[in-house]
Amino acid sequence: MRAFARMSATELTLLSRDPGTLFFMVAFPLMLLVLHTGSERIAVLVPSYLAMILAIGGISALPGFVVTYRERKVLRRLATTPIAPLAVLAAQVVAQLVMGLAGAAIIVVAALAAFGVDAPAHPAPLALAFVLTVLMTCSLGFLIAAVARTVRVADLLGLMIMFPMIFLSGAAIPREGLPPSLRAIGEYLPLGPAVTALREGWAGTPTALPLLALTGIIVASTVISAALFRWE
Amino acid sequence: MTAIRVSALRKTYGANVAVDDVSFTVSAGETFGVVGHNGAGKTSTVECLSGLRRPDGGSIEVLGLDPARRRRALAERIGVQLQEAGLPDRLKVAEALRLFAAFYRRPDDWRQVMERWGLAPLARKAYGDLSGGQRQRLQIALALVGSPELVILDELTTGLDPVARRETWALVGELKAAGVTVVLVSHFMDEAEALCDRIAVFARGRIISLGTAAELMTATGTNSLDEAYLELVR
Repeated sequence: MRAFARMSATELTLLSRDPGTLFFMVAFPLMLLVLHTGSERIAVLVPSYLAMILAIGGISALPGFVVTYRERKVLRRLATTPIAPLAVLAAQVVAQLVMGLAGAAIIVVAALAAFGVDAPAHPAPLALAFVLTVLMTCSLGFLIAAVARTVRVADLLGLMIMFPMIFLSGAAIPREGLPPSLRAIGEYLPLGPAVTALREGWAGTPTALPLLALTGIIVASTVISAALFRWE
Repeated sequence: MTAIRVSALRKTYGANVAVDDVSFTVSAGETFGVVGHNGAGKTSTVECLSGLRRPDGGSIEVLGLDPARRRRALAERIGVQLQEAGLPDRLKVAEALRLFAAFYRRPDDWRQVMERWGLAPLARKAYGDLSGGQRQRLQIALALVGSPELVILDELTTGLDPVARRETWALVGELKAAGVTVVLVSHFMDEAEALCDRIAVFARGRIISLGTAAELMTATGTNSLDEAYLELVR
């Protein structure tokens, strides 16, 4: 447990030293929010941006970190110590969760204090949706890390999957503004149920379906990653 | 007391036989050299010793444990420095030592380890900014922070300048003085001669000779370990 706690704290420190992560997970969402000053959509955008922050971290940043560890033989070095291999990967998830919370805290505080957005209507379902979204985006990140052989491929795949997904699923722009055909595609992407669950938790009526969908994606993606993942 | 007992070890990768019928024992407190060309089976052998690879034949006991079955129990008691293993570039020296210390049940005080291995002035320096010699020094310190009874050092001084090499030798001498069992993999004969009590010469996956540096020279009728080695692998 001490090993896992220290590993998680170390991964969080490393993540906070990554300029790309810091900008895109913490500063960029606030910037977008400011650009929408005065917009009626801002109440919809805040929960959607939570999904965007987590997608940027879990889907586009995490694979590069993990594949770097494999390429540089960090995973191998750790395998000669008593820490459990799964604890090494789980520490990445903890780091993403905490960094996601930091990014979320900034836009939530700004939204409530400066943009007059109403406080979340259903905090518990919102929190559950947030945690499931972290696990879902990280599970996709591990899947990318499992199939990518090099850091370059991992980074590229991460961006190629994350970018279309945040736009089509309504995480970066409200899905109401999308043409119906694109919107239909977005609802079937893994981030679709995440956006739905987060929006329902903030201002709508929480339903079970998006949460179940997220759980299903987490399980499927984890099973496939576990089967394909190479430690060296 | 025997620290390592290897008998009839065999390791294959597809059709390629990396290690073939290798047997040796290492006593507690001994510094044991493993020398040979690239591809002679040195690294595969020590990877089996540290539990990173499962042998295809034969048996291994390290500190009384089977490394393949008791990897984590063994990892508590051994320290391993791996060839070409890195750390994240942005990880600082002190953070690395503190992290690795947290992996073990009874670690040494990582601050003392940092002090003892001359790393204190580098405490806040990132791994990516360290020189080759500094990285190697950190890797040795990380292998020792768990207070191991046995350490495996693979290609310890490859790529180091002569000054850094001699400094590293002195560090290995300190381990030996402290009674730690050391398995030293090298392809430098001067290093093996300076540091090792006994030396196993590997070629084509087998041990072709095993003894003290003096014994290897006598057996080959040569007067340097370099010449003895060349004679043996010829």
